Amino acid sequence: MAARWPAAAAILIVALQLMPVHRSNPPATADLSAPPEISSMLRDACYDCHSNHTRWPWYSAIAPVSWIVYRDVAEGRRRLNFSDWDAYASDPGTARRKLTQIADLVIAGKMAPWYYRALHPRARLDPAQRRIIARWAATQAQGAGR
Amino acid sequence: MRFVHLVTFSAVLLAVCALTAQTECSDSPIFTIRAEAGHFTPSQLEVAANQPFTVRVTSAEKTPIEFESFELRRERVVRPGETISVNMPPLGPGTYKFFDDFHRDTPEGAIVVK
Ligand code: HEC
Repeated sequence: MAARWPAAAAILIVALQLMPVHRSNPPATADLSAPPEISSMLRDACYDCHSNHTRWPWYSAIAPVSWIVYRDVAEGRRRLNFSDWDAYASDPGTARRKLTQIADLVIAGKMAPWYYRALHPRARLDPAQRRIIARWAATQAQGAGR
Repeated sequence: MRFVHLVTFSAVLLAVCALTAQTECSDSPIFTIRAEAGHFTPSQLEVAANQPFTVRVTSAEKTPIEFESFELRRERVVRPGETISVNMPPLGPGTYKFFDDFHRDTPEGAIVVK
């Protein structure tokens, strides 16, 4: 009886792969513009979840990891999508809010999420880099008006 | 004498209108939503398609709310007693939901564009 478990697990894992997960990158309309130093840090640390330029990793094709990655990207894009920046900017108060949140979450070390940093060395920002991003975002927020 | 009053009154009226025109009396329509006691009133706005508009959000709640819409790419904090103006772009026909991200039990509202 016990010998059947590995086989059942194998069948289950294979079956899971049949469930569709949409890994797509919709067209990017207008990216946030920032000094090169800032945008390269944001690209490395944030764009996989917060832009339409997601680099889908190989493991994102394998269930159940694919569902977690998909959820993160969908939820991340919904909350903050750098590729939609012109849409936020058409309401200065919204741009200001997003920038304030970027500053707050980056300085607090809450973004990028720890499990993403664990898998992506380039997303590990040191305290100095965090301060640079936060200061830039806070300054931009002041310029964006209320 | 009466005539002078009338002229003064008209002049003042004109001046006030000219001043406000710079900030709000633009062509784009303004809609008002009030947040109070865990509800948006009205919870549904009907708006004409392909025309920019402004949504004023007033909060009578006791703690800050966050007026947010994923579809509209809008996210604004409104403090108690405050009124904010949210710029909206010209939109295609459809239903665009909004919610209070600080109070997810507040029923969602929608902007219906026709
Ligand atoms: C692994 C995917 C992932 C990465 C990488 C990531 N985020 Fe996020 N982010 C999310 C998810 C999911 C949410 C929404 C849920 C939450 O708040 O935890 C979020 C929420 C946010 C929010 C809140 C937006 C709002 O309106 O509530 C901000 C701001 C943010 N992230 C900034 C960043 C920044 C800046 C970086 C890069 C330094 C980053 N994130 C990297 C997944 C990610």
